[in-house]
Amino acid sequence: MVRLLLDPFGDAYMRRALVEILVLSGLAGVVSVYVLLRRLAFVGDALTHTIFPGIAIAFVVGQSLFVGALLAGLASAVLLTVATRIRRIDHDAALGVLVGAFFSLGVVVVSTQSSYTSDLTALLFGRILTVDTAEIIETTAIAVAVLIVLTLVHKEVVLRSFDPIAAEAMGYRVFLLDLLVNAVVALVVVAGVRAVGTVLVIALLVVPGAIARLVSERIGPMLVASVAAAGLCGYLGLVASYEASLNHGVRLGSGSTVVVALTIAFILTGGAAALLRRRGAGTAAPGSAVP
Amino acid sequence: MRILEQLGSPLIRRALLEAVLVGALCGAVGVHVLLRRLPFFTLALSHATFPGVVLASILGVSVYLGGAAAALGLVLAVAAIGSTRRLEASTATGVALAGAFALGVLLQSAQSSATRNLAGFLVGDILTVSTEDLAMTALFGLVVTAALIVFHKELVLSAFDPIGARAAGYATTRLEVLVLACVALTVVTSLRAVGTILSVALLVTPALAARQWTTDIGPVMALAAAFGALAGVGGIAASAQWNVAGGSAIALAATALLAVTVAVQQARTLVGRQASRHGSKSRELAS
Amino acid sequence: MATSAEPEALPPLLAVEGMSVGYGRQLALEDVSLHVGPGEAVALIGPNGAGKSTLLKAILGLLPLTDGRVKVLGRRPVDAREHVGYVQQADTLDPEFPVSVVQVVLMGRYRAVGWFRRPGAADRRQAMEALAEVGLADRARDRFGTLSGGQRQRVLLARAIAQRAQLLLLDEPFNGLDATTSDILIEVLARLRADGVGVVMSTHDLAVAHLTCGEACVLNRRRVAYGPIGEAITPGTLAEAYGSRAVLLASGATVVTTNG
Repeated sequence: MVRLLLDPFGDAYMRRALVEILVLSGLAGVVSVYVLLRRLAFVGDALTHTIFPGIAIAFVVGQSLFVGALLAGLASAVLLTVATRIRRIDHDAALGVLVGAFFSLGVVVVSTQSSYTSDLTALLFGRILTVDTAEIIETTAIAVAVLIVLTLVHKEVVLRSFDPIAAEAMGYRVFLLDLLVNAVVALVVVAGVRAVGTVLVIALLVVPGAIARLVSERIGPMLVASVAAAGLCGYLGLVASYEASLNHGVRLGSGSTVVVALTIAFILTGGAAALLRRRGAGTAAPGSAVP
Repeated sequence: MRILEQLGSPLIRRALLEAVLVGALCGAVGVHVLLRRLPFFTLALSHATFPGVVLASILGVSVYLGGAAAALGLVLAVAAIGSTRRLEASTATGVALAGAFALGVLLQSAQSSATRNLAGFLVGDILTVSTEDLAMTALFGLVVTAALIVFHKELVLSAFDPIGARAAGYATTRLEVLVLACVALTVVTSLRAVGTILSVALLVTPALAARQWTTDIGPVMALAAAFGALAGVGGIAASAQWNVAGGSAIALAATALLAVTVAVQQARTLVGRQASRHGSKSRELAS
Repeated sequence: MATSAEPEALPPLLAVEGMSVGYGRQLALEDVSLHVGPGEAVALIGPNGAGKSTLLKAILGLLPLTDGRVKVLGRRPVDAREHVGYVQQADTLDPEFPVSVVQVVLMGRYRAVGWFRRPGAADRRQAMEALAEVGLADRARDRFGTLSGGQRQRVLLARAIAQRAQLLLLDEPFNGLDATTSDILIEVLARLRADGVGVVMSTHDLAVAHLTCGEACVLNRRRVAYGPIGEAITPGTLAEAYGSRAVLLASGATVVTTNG
């Protein structure tokens, strides 16, 4: 069993993939908790679609896809934050409109190129096995920057998430806090695009935090649990796809396997939590007595 | 205009008709998507059709069947996850969406045969629409529209005031399921024309534009259908003119319509504000 | 429309003069004026839609004024926010949110703690003291959502206490509260007033208003009456604010409206 878990990493490319996925898991694990607190699952998903034109344009003009994604991501974060403040239009609807507009723009740009299918696949599903050291450094840089920022503004973000009215009343600029968090999510999306692709990065942004919430009701432990879940699933996903592809002839993309691992982890955790709740239903919950 | 020259081609005529039908249907259904705050759920639905479509192609059954089954699966998954109460709706939807797409990708890569035309699934392929597809679109469109018309007042009431509706004796859960089923059917129907991701755009944007003009839901639905159809025509025309992807052009046309609507309404509000300020100033001077 | 005859010793905590808020033909608030000095408490009385919440939000600087002035501690509202405690209705908050009772109260200290720093031992002590004052010190570590509605309302009050606000704004704090919580609220407000805190409180409950406040401002988009509570709240002023279908129960406890 131990051999199974260590074998895949004899090759350098697998080791690099592992480092990338672990860094990404640390980053996404932390941000995932904030995504949960701020209910940003839709924003995260929207961002995976709105960075597409940035990548498409960069592709067409022959520039770095990473830079294209980064610029589009930050621009989207600004637009999304602004859109959700227009009182005329409902929050969710605004996101839907932006996803449609941006994504179709990207498709139009890409369709001017005759051959784009294989790049499209890599874009959508990632290509973590071909990640090089430069990319790992880029991901690490993003992770460090994001973690520093989040540590600094943690308590304000939690306040805004829990009670935006109080945050506003106390004098915090909720718009700026929202913009900051949306920008952080955009950065994670950009960083994750290489590993698991745009389509599946939403999983990294939502599932670890959800797992953490199932096992804890305090933010500190949730952060730990989220990172642990993301890291473990990243690791196991790589192992599983390696095993399946090499020893069993089943071609499983690594990015996809990581997401499958996360889904299974979620189901198992949810099931265990439900079972424990049913067991504990007989005893009275503490602190439920009438004052 | 190039589109007018190409009207002779049956390919273009079919694409045009499909665009109009899908646009109108999405417009009307989209009003309910907005009413019940379902844009994210609709996006998740459109992603969830992916495993269904892959499974359908593996099993050799109709794509519509697979897509519909997957949509049902998603609804159940979101309900199950959300029932834990610890995870609210958008988180539950995000988890279910991720799981669904992962499942689809798993199924697809486990298939040793060549990968399906994924791009077509994602962004649509309206120029390859066949007469059978048109017939399905018309059929599903008819069914969904009929359902929305027959249950119109119940649907609107339970959307605005679920507690009051339940008190009045309406089965609000069943009505919610009806709307979700209509949305799922509409998403599956739109796959050919605009693909998964842009089906959300077509479901949200024309309806949103229509909402800016009036608040009475009946007229909003009619106006949304008109806007959707208009976007469909505009998109196909743009696609023919500049040789761009059809589905995306439709989505962009709908967005342009919304932008114009918002601009006009903003202008009207500004003018109104100026007028009232002048009005109150003149009242002050007069008193 | 008598105002309290106090000497102009200290600047008022809150000075609202000729305030109008809103757009278009129908203003949400029109030409409203009131003053709150240290230790004073004004009850905002009026039907739904009368502009009570709008007034509170305008005092916080959350809404632009179309006319008039608001000064909090002699400054613009946006500059005085750390000294103003806003206690909203607790039912707007998500009960599943993973935050504990004491963490909620600590949020009141965040402004004082400042950006980039974490609350210290002194802040924790103030939070626990505030919790003790509202009778919930034993629930400090429990998740906020596990408390009853009344208890959550008390926690929000504790948060404003921990903030050491000089002006307290409360939006319908007594709505649907249990008797224990009501009593605690009344006691705490009395203690705060004795310490010089100013209070503006919107409420439907006239009995509570009489118990907690010295002045009342009866509103229905305009100021119908303002002054010592015994003079401002009368069957006449209530009829004017609530419409002619308002009936003041003989006990003076509450206002009943009928749809004639």
